[in-house]
Amino acid sequence: MAIIEVSHMKKSFGHLDVLKDVSFEIQKNEVIAVIGPSGSGKSTMLRSLVHLEEINGGSIKVQDQYLVKDGVYSNHSQIKAITSRMGMVFQHFNLFPHLTVQENLGLAPKHVKKLTKEEVRSNSAVLLQKVGLSEKAEVYPGNLSGGQKQRVAIARALMMNPDIMLFDEPTSALDPELTGEVLAVIKQLAEEHMTMVIVTHEMSFAKEVADRIIFMDNGQVMESGSPDQLFHQPKMDRTREFLNRAMR
Amino acid sequence: MSMDYIVQISKPMLEGAQTTILLFFIAIIASIPLGFVFTLMVRSAIKPLAWLANTYIYVFRGTPLLLQMLFFCFGLPVLPVIGEYLVLDRFVAACLAFVLNYAAYFAEIFRGGLLAIDKGQYEASKVLGLNKWQTTTKVILPQMFRVALPAVSNESITLVKDTALLYAVAVPELLHFAYTAVNRDFTIMPFFIAGVIYLLMTLVLTLFFKFLERRFKYE
Ligand SMILES: Nc1ncnc2c1ncn2[C@@H]1O[C@H](COP(=O)(O)OP(=O)(O)O)[C@@H](O)[C@H]1O
Ligand SMILES: [Mg+2]
Repeated sequence: MAIIEVSHMKKSFGHLDVLKDVSFEIQKNEVIAVIGPSGSGKSTMLRSLVHLEEINGGSIKVQDQYLVKDGVYSNHSQIKAITSRMGMVFQHFNLFPHLTVQENLGLAPKHVKKLTKEEVRSNSAVLLQKVGLSEKAEVYPGNLSGGQKQRVAIARALMMNPDIMLFDEPTSALDPELTGEVLAVIKQLAEEHMTMVIVTHEMSFAKEVADRIIFMDNGQVMESGSPDQLFHQPKMDRTREFLNRAMR
Repeated sequence: MSMDYIVQISKPMLEGAQTTILLFFIAIIASIPLGFVFTLMVRSAIKPLAWLANTYIYVFRGTPLLLQMLFFCFGLPVLPVIGEYLVLDRFVAACLAFVLNYAAYFAEIFRGGLLAIDKGQYEASKVLGLNKWQTTTKVILPQMFRVALPAVSNESITLVKDTALLYAVAVPELLHFAYTAVNRDFTIMPFFIAGVIYLLMTLVLTLFFKFLERRFKYE
């Protein structure tokens, strides 16, 4: 059963058509890597799923509930309920700089889920352990490396118990030697069968971790398939060209 | 120049300093929240509100504080018909001018503070499920105040010195007593004492804001 169904999604910024009739499905427990040249609409697609962008046409269905159906959005509380099932990790982390790591993790659980202090504390202890940052609980983000920041951001998203995790180029802002620690955390989530959509430029990582690859170009899904098929027998010339350049 | 003389003239000057300090606190306590209200108005989606606040800020930043003070003290009472109901105590009128003037400056400072906040902060808040109010109070405002702190510090030091404008509307304060003593006793000493008292006040403020900046360094 598809956990996310996107059909005929369209989005434009003014006269610029950024998403042109994008359709795809994501199955429960599937790990999807989204690749494609910059400007092809990958971020816009991901942001539309969590209502950071409003699409102009088409439908998005998450766990059998329509976020938007034929261009018409559900009401405010339904949108909130649907998007709350998804966690998002940004390229630039977007941690709250005035809060410690612990407070970054605890803010939403405390105010949105109304968890008690003890619940928040024990949940965040578990997740900080998971991303290997237990000793950084009291530290402010300003004192962390990029890789550490991104691991905190992942833990912060996981605090809300999402069914689906979305990653928008989680390692693109990192020094090369720091990408490994972030990718390792994502890999661990994949092993736990978290449903994930990962926009990435890391081709070898995509190949290794993804069940399926979606190649986007020029506001369209050009092709999707298993890593083996897409990397070794791409159907489209455009895909081959992109891969040739990306793998060089 | 005896120590006795310094002690003797310092006494009225310190009393005058009380007026200075009173004006300072009234102005700072009222103008910071008021300024913040104007910041919110400027950013409001309701266009007339934004327009009103922008005009207000433009007028109060674009004209001299001294003019505004004279306007409230001596201008309002000479208005036809309603003027006689607008005779304010001169200190009250001066406070009004200070509050309205400084609110305009603080509005600009806070607006700058908000502009400095990355849009990723709003996006992360939204994706985590925080509502608008929670986002504003838990995420945006604390960062805005942190960014604005150095400018608020500057502005408050300027405010201490601006209190000397009370002299122009003959409300006795620190400078007034100093000048009186200079004229009466033919000595420059009272000006030095006044200067020292102003310096002490700005020193306390500087230390206070340094403390706040360290306290909210987030490192
Ligand atoms: N808020 C926006 N306003 C105008 N144009 C935008 C906006 N966001 C993205 N775009 C444009 O949409 C296109 C797709 O952007 P994006 O989704 O970020 O692509 P990708 O993530 O694949 O690099 C680009 O041409 C970009 O300039
Ligand atoms: Mg992008």
